Order: sequence, then structure tokens, then C-alpha cells
Amino acid sequence: MHDTPQAAGRRSFLKLAGALAVTTAAGCAVESRVPVATTGSTNDRDTGFDRSLLNAVAAVVLPSELGVKGVDTAVDAFVTWADGYDPVAEEMHGYGYADIRYLPADPAPAWRAQLAGLELLARRSLRKSFAELTVETRQGLLAAALKGAPDDRLPSPIDAPHIALALLSHWASSPDAWDLALGVKVQTGNCRVLGDANAKPLPITGLRA
Amino acid sequence: MKTIESDIVIIGSGITAALMAARLSETTKRRITVIEAGKPTTPLAERTKARARYMAYGESPWKQDHLDDQNAYGTTWGFSPSMTVGGLAMHWGGVSPRYSPEDFRLKTLYGVGDDWPFTYEELDPFYQEAEERMGVAGEQGPVALDPRGKPYPLPPLPVNYNLKQLQGFATQAGVAMWSTPSAKLSVARDGRSQCQRCDTCYPVCPSGAKYSPDFTWDALVRDNRITLVTETLVRRLIADPTTGAIVRATGNRTDASGEEVTITATTFVLAAGFAWSPHLLLLSRDAAFPNGLANRSGLVGKYLAGHRNVNAYLDLPMELYPGINVQHSLVSKQFMRVPRSGRYLRHDLRLWESSVGREPRLRDANGATLFGDALLADWRTRAKGATARIRAYYDVIPDRESKLTLDAGHVNRFGDPMPTMDFRDAPESAAVKPWQEEQIASLFRRMAKAGNGTILKMENSANDLGQEHPTGGCRMGDDPTQSVVNKWGRAHDHENLWVAGAPTQPSASCCNGTLTFVANGLRTASAIASA
Repeated sequence: MHDTPQAAGRRSFLKLAGALAVTTAAGCAVESRVPVATTGSTNDRDTGFDRSLLNAVAAVVLPSELGVKGVDTAVDAFVTWADGYDPVAEEMHGYGYADIRYLPADPAPAWRAQLAGLELLARRSLRKSFAELTVETRQGLLAAALKGAPDDRLPSPIDAPHIALALLSHWASSPDAWDLALGVKVQTGNCRVLGDANAKPLPITGLRA
Repeated sequence: MKTIESDIVIIGSGITAALMAARLSETTKRRITVIEAGKPTTPLAERTKARARYMAYGESPWKQDHLDDQNAYGTTWGFSPSMTVGGLAMHWGGVSPRYSPEDFRLKTLYGVGDDWPFTYEELDPFYQEAEERMGVAGEQGPVALDPRGKPYPLPPLPVNYNLKQLQGFATQAGVAMWSTPSAKLSVARDGRSQCQRCDTCYPVCPSGAKYSPDFTWDALVRDNRITLVTETLVRRLIADPTTGAIVRATGNRTDASGEEVTITATTFVLAAGFAWSPHLLLLSRDAAFPNGLANRSGLVGKYLAGHRNVNAYLDLPMELYPGINVQHSLVSKQFMRVPRSGRYLRHDLRLWESSVGREPRLRDANGATLFGDALLADWRTRAKGATARIRAYYDVIPDRESKLTLDAGHVNRFGDPMPTMDFRDAPESAAVKPWQEEQIASLFRRMAKAGNGTILKMENSANDLGQEHPTGGCRMGDDPTQSVVNKWGRAHDHENLWVAGAPTQPSASCCNGTLTFVANGLRTASAIASA
């Protein structure tokens, strides 16, 4: 079941959603590497996201296999990660680098604006909150919003041009997500016992991540 | 003005300097002072947290590890701004192969480049010592390919499940491969833990299993065996115009004070790597030595050497599980020992598990956006099978004019010109480069075919700035007109000046170089102790 009965209206709605979301992100994704001293603090920036809207996005972009608890855990982890970001901290440099580089400015304001944009669009066009739309409608909106996003592989979350992609990428880069895809317990990226490396990884059982 | 007096002064605190200092502190009674331009960086106790932030955000785990205005141009290898206690090896990968015996006799065996002034066999005990001091875990390869006087100090890192499958593939393709020697502990030792497969050896090992030079510095300082002076940039060496002996070093504090510093000693050791060692010698020009110190031959800064690579990803019909031990690999020296006939090509070979092509994607082949269950289903399909990464470093014979020069267009806060590098192949290398790269590509294609696989993608490093694992700039040799230092690292022109490690090497082989830099440094330390 769709929320909007008129296909033409829906097409316009999706087009608008795409334009709104991607340009918002692109405008705010700072690429310049400004030499600012790293304090290691989170500064005085705003943190957090509208959780009901973020949950509504998560329900679309994350696998249902995670279950309600798993999705909630993934969203919690994303919010904690985004809140902990230290804008323009020094980027890792080493082999292949000739100079000092800095991480981008805080992407979270753009991501918050995208959430607000989705909500505004839903209310104006469909007279419902984004969170009240069906999964299919939300899916269509987010797919439109991600037109132009890289498609071969997911970007690093910090470079994601849209919050939906940031959330998805953040989850997909986790050891549990990889295990879910592989069907075995590898726990890539986690420190592990050396001797266990010799054995074929064991299959995972039940729902994970 | 601050003054420092010592018997032996070591300029630089990187990996070569650290292990030389350790050796010297055991073999002489002389006072040893180490001068480092930077500060200490992230201590071991903070590396777990630093790693977590690196993993989460890509932040550098190494705080205060560089001086912004001290940078070499013309190279992306060696990260020249690195100025910290421990130097660049604070974030090395720990891969520790030896060069092959042929590397020391290229002119004699192949008619290219130059022979080193000593043989592999002469360096073998210092290789062994370097491996012992760092804690290298390694597997003896076929003796004909991998000669060594004694066994590795530590058992090899395991050929894990993924690598075992890949080893079978390599064997099927006719290539003998074994566990890559690494300065990562396969068993706990000296208060350092066993490797925990954290997969971030480069850039940061949180457990201490991978050797980093701060371990040595911390122990030496704790036991009062050396004096470590940080935040002090040596800007000039001053030589007696008559005798040529180095009488003092001068420089400045790199803290806010910028205070002038004078250092006197009987022995000066330049262990500041391939960029900053020749740079200091060139900077130290004066009326008596208008071309810089140790430069009677005109070769200071010349013969910069390195290697390039060809890298490929193979799709293989087997099941691998990306992430078991991402940074550990198989290695072969089969192509480093080549016949004397034919055109010149020597290269190493490394083989890794890889996740390339196994990652999730946002859109399927038809362009449909994938979310949630559809994305996971697609990912599961993509995750099946196996990708292997294969890479060969091939050596590049350096041209005499492969050089470092002073660049007045870039100066540091003190007005000193920074180095600019221009790596150039010798004609014998330039002439065969396309053929060499095609030969390696052909090998990869043959291997893929033998394993019933395909090449996913292949690339080479031709467009990188500079060359990998760089060496040179103060090459060693027996002839003072053709070299800067003798075969022990002692400057031909200055009896009490020694240059150590990478800058002294006439060539850079076709494998990771750090172990050899250190072995050379230890050999130099042995000569300093008995001088």
C-alpha cells in the first residue's frame, strides 16, 4: 500500500526529495583541509538526531533480520559515533601522504537538516510525518534522495552525503554486519586470539548485529 | 643558549637510531646523547583508544608526530614531516623481509647499478641481531631462496585459514610462498603481548605486539643508558676547516622558545633517514665546504633509490572469509633470485586475503537502489567466493641524478630551505620499465589462470610521487670519489662523522626495507664502538 494515490504527484515528490536531500548534504560536506589544532574534544557543537525520524530511516535502510532490538542497537551506535566525531581532527597520514590532512567539518548539521527536510516534505506533500509513512514510501523517498550517491561500494560514514547512507554505512562497516553477510564468525576489525586464525570460521547461528 | 656535551651524538630517533643506541649502550662506555626534533607521540597505554578513533573516524592515532614546517617535497613515500620520538616506524607495518644476496652484487651478477661494498653474508649477523632486537616472527623459506645463518628468533605468524587456501593456490600456480616475516610477536616477549590480530598493524598496534622504536627508547631512558633530547632541531654540523673533524652541531629548540642549541661531541652519527640526513649535510655548507659536508664526491643527495609495484586483485574459485588477519600475508623470494641471462627484472611477491568486490553496495547491476533486506541478500551473494590481493615490488636502479636538493622556495621557521626530491631511474631501468611491468602482469594472469580465477583489476604505482621504501642520498662505497661514506658508514671526508641506515644504501631492493636499514645501522654501530 502506498501513501499517495497519484503517481504524478509521487514522482514530483520523489524528485523534490532527491534534490533537497543531496544538495543539502553536498553544500555542507566540507572538503577543504583547514589546518586547525586538534583538541580531541567534541567542541560545543550540537549533538543527537530526531530519534523517531532516524528510526524511521533505519527501518528502511537496515535489514529486518536485525530485529527491532538489533536496529535499535545499530541506531544507538550510529548516534554515539556521530556525537563523538571531532571535526577537522588530523587525518591518519603515513605511507602515500606528503602532507598533513584534516578530517572534514562536522557532517551532522547537514544530516539533521536532511531529516528535517524529509519530515517537512512528508508533511507538506502527504500530510503525514515521515515516520508515519509506509516503509515502501519511505524507501522511495530515500532512494530518490540518494540519486547520485556512489553505488559501487558504500562510502565511509563520515563522507556519506546523506544521513540514510551514513547510517547504513556505519552499520555495514561493523564486524557484526560482516559476519551476518559472511554467515560465519570472523569479527573483522576486533582484536582476537592469534591461534584461532588457523581454523575455518564457525557459522553464526540466529540473528546478529 | 643551551649547550649539550656528549661523547656520541645521534641525530634522529627513528628505528635505526633506536637500535643503534641500544647496541652502542651495550658495547661502549661512552656517553650517548640522542637529538630529536619532535616530541614523544602516543604512548602504548593510549593506543587502544587511539586505534578506536582511527577505526571510527580515520583520525591519526599519532599525536604531535610532525613539525608542520619541516617537510620534503617530491615524495609521497616516507612521510617526511614525521618528526617524533621513534620516527616513521611508529606507524610502520612491521613487515621485515631481508634483501636477497643478489641485491649486494647487482653489477657483478647483472651488469646494472652498483655492487654494495659488502656482501649479504657479511650483513647476515646484523640482520639476525635486528630480528632479535625487534622480535621478528618468521618462517624459513626454501633455503636456496631464503638463506640465513640462524633460525628466526620467533616462530612465524600462523598461515591462517585464508592464507592456507591461498598458499594452495600459489603452489598450484608454481610459486612457493610462506608466512611473511614480521616484527610482530607470535609469542609474548619482553613485556610485549602476542599478536592479537587487531588488523591495524599499520597504522597502530594497540597491543605492543608490533615493534615500535619507543619501546627501545623508553627502556634506554629508564635505565639511564642514554640521554634523549627532544624538540631540538639540528640545523648545521660545523667542521674544522683544516682537519675536517666535526666540532659541533648547532640548531634550535622547536618549542615556542626557539632557543639556540649547541652540541659538542667526539662522534657524530647522522641517523635521520633518507631525507633529513643528506639534507643536513647540504645545509651545513660553509666557506671551507661550499658544497656541504661529506660531499667531496658531489654525491650527497644523489642516487635516491626505491622500488615500484604492480598490484592486482584476483577473483578465485574458493571460499575465503575476509578479515581473519587482513595485514598478514604470504611472501615469495622466488623472483628475487633470477638467472643472469636476459633482461633485468627482479621482484618480490606478496599475497593477501582481500575484501575487494565482497563489500555491500548501494545499487545492483541494474541500478536499483538496495536497502535493508535487499542489500543484505545482495551482499551475501557478493561475499561468497574469494578475492586475493597480489603485489610485486620491482626494483629500480637509481640514476646518479635521482636526487635531493635544497629548495629555497620552501623554508622552515628558521629560514632553512627544505629538501625537494626528484627520483629518476637509471637508463638501464628506464629502458625496461614497460617490459618489467608487463612481465609481472603476465605472471599475475598466469597465476590467475592456473587457479581458474580472473583478474578483477590491476594497477601499478607509476604515478606515485617518488619511490617506495626509499634509500640513498649518502651512498656507501670504497671509492671516495664515488661514494659519501665507506662501507661502515663513516664519512670519507670527516673521520668522526657517521651516517647510518637507509641513506647509505646504494640500492633499495624489491621488498620492504626497514629491516635492512636497521641491520646496516647496527653494522655501523659495531664500527663506531670499535673506532
